Amino acid sequence: MRWLVYLFREAWANLRTNRTTTVVAIVTTAFTLACVGIFLLSYVNLRHAADWLQEDIKVIVYLEDRLSQDVIQDLEGTLKADRMVGGLLYISKEQALGEFRAQFPSDSHLLEGLGENPLPASFVVTPAPNYRSLDAVNRWAERVKTMAGVAKVDYNQEWIDALAGLIRYIELAAISVGVILSMAAVTIIGNTIRLALFARREEIEILRLIGATRAFIRIPYFIEGAVLGVCGSALSLGILKLGFELFRQQIGSVGRFRGIENLVAFLPLSICVAFVAVGMVLGVAGSMVSLRRFGEGRG
Amino acid sequence: MIQLIHVSKSYDRRVALSDLTLEIGKGEFVLLMGPSGAGKSTLLRMLIGEERPDQGQIFMQGKNVGQLRQSEVPYLRRKIGTVFQDFRLLPKKSVFENVALPLIVQRSSTADIRRKVTEALRAVGVEHKKDQSPASLSTGEQQRACIARAIVNGPVVLLADEPTGNLDPERTAEIIELFKLINARGTTVVVATHDPHVMSLVNRRVITLMQGVLMPERQGGDSVGV
Repeated sequence: MRWLVYLFREAWANLRTNRTTTVVAIVTTAFTLACVGIFLLSYVNLRHAADWLQEDIKVIVYLEDRLSQDVIQDLEGTLKADRMVGGLLYISKEQALGEFRAQFPSDSHLLEGLGENPLPASFVVTPAPNYRSLDAVNRWAERVKTMAGVAKVDYNQEWIDALAGLIRYIELAAISVGVILSMAAVTIIGNTIRLALFARREEIEILRLIGATRAFIRIPYFIEGAVLGVCGSALSLGILKLGFELFRQQIGSVGRFRGIENLVAFLPLSICVAFVAVGMVLGVAGSMVSLRRFGEGRG
Repeated sequence: MIQLIHVSKSYDRRVALSDLTLEIGKGEFVLLMGPSGAGKSTLLRMLIGEERPDQGQIFMQGKNVGQLRQSEVPYLRRKIGTVFQDFRLLPKKSVFENVALPLIVQRSSTADIRRKVTEALRAVGVEHKKDQSPASLSTGEQQRACIARAIVNGPVVLLADEPTGNLDPERTAEIIELFKLINARGTTVVVATHDPHVMSLVNRRVITLMQGVLMPERQGGDSVGV
């Protein structure tokens, strides 16, 4: 066990010997990863909003005017039998008018001038849970449009399309920024490790000559890199959380956005853990790069 | 124990060793003499697998050192104790911790480490300095600590590269006596030195290198003029 204690003690000694460099590396890594975190946070929240919209999706099947009751019932039977339909609600022309009047009481006189009720009867369809994806709804809507008696099929497609597009952009930006900034984090940690390697080059040489294996020499530096990565990513989560709470407070105080603060959420625990794990991997990668450049382990 | 067959080594056309063939038996005490640049250190580095010969073969306990994989080299070095002219003790570690290093890299148990380090320190006469830092030791004591580190895991061969280079004649004699004691316990000892005074202290086989070439062998001891 002494060898294990030795490896951890050496890693700790490395961190302590270059205290200033260690702190600078952790803080720089934290801010670098926090930039990645901003994209991740935006992505997670937009994804959440998209899922919420998707869950709430309603498809309105408008019917042609003057359909007989039999045709309407046939259509209702066909839709109910469709496995993509989770729920169905018939809104007659009169009910539609009543709802319009209830929702827009000051504008109800506009319809009176037309004489006849211009609002169509419709079916409000809630897709079954397994068929709420945009593609599935699109395909279903296209199919229903061709049915006899159907005038138009409508759903909040524009909103969902716009959000899906935004999510794709954010995803792309998050990946690009993530890759670039991760490389920056690897370089920052790698340079810190290189300083430790340089400071302990004599010790490394002695260890090699007395029969230390390559792994034995490398492990303390891997531990050091991992610690820097974990501390950096944990600190970045702290910075993100702080920024997130400030943002939530600010947005809550702006009248137009009131209520949004309750919809946005911080990264879930599983993503936080994964984020720290990624930080650890980046730290170890930094160590690997430096050890390779330093030429350690020549036998 | 150690066998070199037609070994040659050059650095940028400068010949360090030329067609060297020699054999050192188990339990021998050999002085490797020659001026600076004669190829002594190159030869020792080859024995521990730090350098590979351009030509020829080197055998250590029947294993061809030149053909060892990089991953096998550490295990070869664990059978060899190495003593350096500049001691190479780690300044931030105590004498005990320095001597314990070869055992730690071999993953010895804590009890084993305590026992073997104490024995090694006692054997070289610096047991009472075990908790001190190397910087607080005299040069002679530092070299003793270095020797303790070299013998702590019971190596079959002890290689010493100019071990008395930084010592006065009195300390030199003490260190050579220590090597003789270690040799008497069965360890093969090879001491590389350019100091003729060392040769006068050792009545054993003397191998001389001149510009990488092996000279006729001699015998050291009192009869040798310093």
